[in-house]
This record gives sequence, C-alpha cells and structure tokens, in this order.
Amino acid sequence: MTQKPEYIHIKYTKPRYYRWSTGKYMGKVYKEARDNKKLVTNRCPKCGELLWHPEPVCGRCKVYAGEDWVEMSDKGTVLQYTYLVVPMWNPHMGERWANPYPLASIKLDNGCYIYHFLEEQDPEKLPKVKRVQAVWKEEGRGQGLGDILYFRAIEE
Amino acid sequence: MSEKIEQVEGLDAFIVEGKIDIPNTYSAGAVGSRFLIELRDNKKIMGIRCPDCNRVYVPPKSTCKDCFGQLSEWVQVSDKGTLITYTVDCHSNNVQPVEPPIIYGIIRLDGADTGLVHMLGEVDLEQVKIGMRLQAVFKEKRVASVLDIKYFKPLA
Amino acid sequence: MANRVAIVGIGQTYHKNKRPDVNMPEMVNEAVRAALVDAQLRPKDIEAVITGNMETFEGVYLPDHWMAVEAVAFRTPGFKVSTGGTTGASAVEEGFNFVASGLCDVALVIGFEKQDTGDTTAAITACSTPVWGKGMATGAIGEFAKQALTYMEKSGAKEEHAAMVRLKADRGACRNPYAHLKLGLKSVEEILQSGYLVWPIRLLDFCPQSCGACALVLASEGRAGKITKKPVWMADMITIHQLPFRAGIFGDITGTEPYSQEVAAEKLYERNGITNPIRDIDMAEIYEPSNWEEMSLYEHFHFCEKNQGWKMVEKRMTEIEGEFPVNPSGGVLATNPIGATPTIRIAEAALQVRGDAGEHQVTRDVKTAVATALGGSNWTVMTLLKRSL
Repeated sequence: MTQKPEYIHIKYTKPRYYRWSTGKYMGKVYKEARDNKKLVTNRCPKCGELLWHPEPVCGRCKVYAGEDWVEMSDKGTVLQYTYLVVPMWNPHMGERWANPYPLASIKLDNGCYIYHFLEEQDPEKLPKVKRVQAVWKEEGRGQGLGDILYFRAIEE
Repeated sequence: MSEKIEQVEGLDAFIVEGKIDIPNTYSAGAVGSRFLIELRDNKKIMGIRCPDCNRVYVPPKSTCKDCFGQLSEWVQVSDKGTLITYTVDCHSNNVQPVEPPIIYGIIRLDGADTGLVHMLGEVDLEQVKIGMRLQAVFKEKRVASVLDIKYFKPLA
Repeated sequence: MANRVAIVGIGQTYHKNKRPDVNMPEMVNEAVRAALVDAQLRPKDIEAVITGNMETFEGVYLPDHWMAVEAVAFRTPGFKVSTGGTTGASAVEEGFNFVASGLCDVALVIGFEKQDTGDTTAAITACSTPVWGKGMATGAIGEFAKQALTYMEKSGAKEEHAAMVRLKADRGACRNPYAHLKLGLKSVEEILQSGYLVWPIRLLDFCPQSCGACALVLASEGRAGKITKKPVWMADMITIHQLPFRAGIFGDITGTEPYSQEVAAEKLYERNGITNPIRDIDMAEIYEPSNWEEMSLYEHFHFCEKNQGWKMVEKRMTEIEGEFPVNPSGGVLATNPIGATPTIRIAEAALQVRGDAGEHQVTRDVKTAVATALGGSNWTVMTLLKRSL
C-alpha cells in the first residue's frame, strides 16, 4: 500500500510597503499634469530628441540632458494595442484584476511613444481606433500619468 | 487605484507610497516536510546523520556540508539542549512571530551537531546565560511549522 | 582572449510544473550532481561557482547563500547574477570570463528558478512600473501580444503558422526527457481551439512557468582535454542591450527600431567569419517566449529575409529533420524556468554538438551551433559553440 507523501508548504502573504521617489525629472511631469493638465518632457541638447520618460542623461548621446522642458501634444496615433482576457495578479493592488481598458502603444504628435489606455473596449472596433486624444481627470489629479483617464478615439 | 502621493517640500518631486504584494508559497521539500510533520504529529525533533562524517544536522539537510554525501539516515534528537549564543530583538516589524522583546537563541540540542535558531521563553533577560540548559515547550495546537515549538524554557 | 573555454559537463533537472518534494537548494543540487557526474569531477575540483536567478520570482533574498552547500559553493569564489530573462546566459558569460581570464581553470555555472513559489507575471509587473504606470504593465505577455499583432500585420503570417511552430515545439519536447510540457498535440486545429490569455496570445502560444535548474561545467583549454573526450568549445559570446520605452519592445510597427538581436547577430557573425548563417551554422537553440516571436527571431538573426520567417515554418525548414533545425528540444514554449532557460539553451546546443541529445538529436551533423537568450526590455545574449576551434 503506497500512501501519497504529505508535503508541507509555507505561505508568505504579507505585502512589502515602499515609498518611491519620483525624483525631480518625473516629478515635473506629475506637477504639470496636476496643475496644468499638460504632459511635459525634456529634450537632449545634442540630438534634440524628446526623452520619454524625462531622463537626466540622454541614453544615445551619453550627455547630460538638462531641464529643457517641452510640452507634448496630447493627441497621437495608436501603434499597437492589447487587452487582458484572463485577470492577472496585480502586485500593486494585491489581488487579481483585469483592466477593462486596452493597453496601447501610442505615438504622440511631437514624437514620443507612450503607454496608456484606450477608451474603446469593444474588440471589434479596436482595429479602427487610430487617432486618439487624452481625456484628463477633472478633479483629484496628482497621480502622474494616472491623471489621464484614457485616450479617446477622435475623427481626423 | 489611488495611493498616497505627496509633494516634497520646495521641490518638483513627489513621494509615491505603494506596495508590492505577491503571495509566495515555499516548499519544505520531502526532507523538510518530515521534520515538520514529526513536530506536529509526535512532538519529536528529528535530525539527519551523515555516516561518513558522523555529524547530525538539525534541522535536517539532504546534503552533507563537508563530504557532499546524499543523506538519508534519520535520527531523533533530544528536546533538551544547550544555549550557544543569543540576542534580544526590541524593534517591532511586521514579520516577527510574536511581539517584541524577543530573545532569539541558537540552541544545540543533545544529539545534534548543529545549532537550531529559536526563541526563549519563561525566562527573564538577566537570567539568560550562554551555556544554560534549555527544554523545548510544544504548543497544544500544532500545524507542521517550526513554531510548533512555542519556545525553549530553562531546564529546571 | 587569454584562455579558450570549453563546456565539459552538462546537467539538468527534469523540469516540472511543481516540485513539492524539494526545496530550492535540493532542486539545484540535482542539476549540480548531474553535471558533476557528466564531467566525472568531484566537488573539490570546482574552483568557482556562478549562480543565476531572479529573486523576485520566488521572493527569496540571496538564494545563493542558502544553497552554498548544495551548489558546491561553500568556501568557493563566485556570485549570483540577475539580468531578467537573460540571467542564465549572463551567468554562463560570467563563468566564461572567470575561466578565460585565468582566474580559475574549472568553473560551475548554475541557472535555476522554482516558479511554483510565486507568481512570475505579477513579479514582472511589479518590477517594471513602480512609479509611473500602475495598471499599465501586463507582464511580459502583454508585450508579446503586441508583437504578435504587429507581426501578423506586417508579414502576412497567419495563426496557422504560429500553431505549426507550437506543434514543432511539442514534437521536440515529447522526445526530450527533461522537457516540462509534453502535451502530445496532434493538429493545428487543436491549438486554434485553446483560449486567449492576452489577445492574440492563446494559452498554448506562450511559455509555461516551470521549476528547474541547469548546470554547466566550464574548463580552460589546458584542463578540458583531460576531463572529457568531447569538449564543446565556446567560440564567442555577446551581450547587447536596448533602451526601454520605445515604439515597440519586441515588435515595432513603425519599422524604425534597431533590435538587439540584429545587432548581436551582425557583430557575432562578423567576428567569426559567418556570411551565410543557415549554411555556416548547423542548428540554433533560440529563446522564444511565444511562437509568434520565434518567427520574428528567424528574421532578426538573419536565418531568412525580413517578413519571411513564417515561410521557413511553412517549408518545415526548422524541424528536427529539416535543413536548419531550431529548438529541437522543445524550446522555451515547452520548458521555462526563467533563471535556467538560457542555460538550458546553451546546454541543449552543446548536447547537439556532442551528439548526445538522444531522441531529439537533429539529422544534420552539428559542428557549429548558436544559442540565444532574450530578456527584460529586449536584451540579447548570443553564444557560439563549436566542436573544434
């Protein structure tokens, strides 16, 4: 008679709490989003590229990027998108969650690529969503990129 | 998904409070499970012996530290032992098994060649001495955990 | 290069979904013992030990300290490497550096991951966006979903081609005793019926989460010949990084991004006189997290022209009996203990060069093989192995 051996498992379920600093570069993004409903980033003095997310150093040129802040357009073109079908464990919430909004790579009109959500949730209509514009929260801003609710499809 | 975000005084920087909450499940393995099951079912403390080096490991290991042999000879060790060293934890954090102050000791049980880390109880801090004799106290309700031993108390 | 380096011992665990019967050090011990037996060496012959592991996936801090005895690392020089998906290959590169520089003559490299301990997708989501993107990351799988869509649109590949790649991986896995997922898949239709996880990636399109370890023994030229009659020479290794946050990490619809795979392949081929990859190299073990990415990787590594990767699949060129076999072991689609996976790619390519791959040995004679690793925001590590230098 073979008995199935008993294996012991030790569970550890405590969350680890953190306090993350945005630093002054990302902090500028938070401030402009909260106060002025604008997206800003900095520009490399050598190659002139917009650096998203704002960086102290340009990765390509390896020079200090400084604080030449540029306002980014809040309109863009959707490059690619995806959406969750099965809810996945979200470590920042401590539970399974399927974001109802699709996540997209969007090219903003003056050059940067940004990840954000799309308002359109219908899989049939998603391939037609090309030109989009940011929809800002009216109240309760101060969450950085979370101040933009999603990008809405526009006719252009 | 809003969390506490506060601006740093006088700077364009923000502190984002958040958490990383991913539950983990650690396997004790076949060897570890046997040790824990013997604590739970029989209030026995088991070790593993290396026949070539004549060393008894408590808690048990499947590989010998000195000869790399694969070990399988189980022996029971006493629930009484000698205190090798100790320290006192006065600071509170959320991963401790009990409230501080906690006296952690390394105890060499009679019959073992290694030390077991555990807590001391039923003793005042001034009475704790290196070399004192100790006795394990088991909990009434045991769950196959190293905390099935409540603490080690001075041997009368 | 000061010293030439060869792989003289290979060991793996039997990779599984869950391993409740061992804790992490005991699992690593299985691979280490297998590698030592393969190399016919004793623990005291190992002069340095490099381990590779991503700590967040198991939530164990400093696992290499925990397993010092089981990994023959007690009182031996070495350290742990964590570079995301490329961890196992970076660990091999570190071992290679130890031996090539003359710091030691025999090194042991171990890649491992015990993924039944935690939730890997959650861990990847956690490490990618602590401040500016809560809820935005969808783990690694979201990025590969976007790659799959881009590939479908740009190259004309169909879901049937992706399913054929999955069938090939399963056929190889069923012939590989160490592989994790041996599903016995029979047809393209069977795969097209499995559900979507993150659209358009189906459950069967993506790699599993496995528990496993893989160990390699590396030796310098002076010692390799004394240890084994079949050393596998590490002719070259290259690591290329990429910036994050661009048009598309793995699939770029604008066509403007340089891929780390292309840069790595071009440099490696140029340094080693390879002008026609599928003629000059005999087989490849590539790191493909999804079947769509595999077709893209054929193009990035210049096994075929741009947008033609799916044609290689249609013509069955990459099967075990094919003209240019890719992933005869089942690849990452069948087995993925993240820290070990790139080490397994190098180990499987080395087994092919030695002729020791058993039932999944390819038909073509393998004198030169290439093994790759992929990770993070699209980093690449490429290794070139040869039977004789």
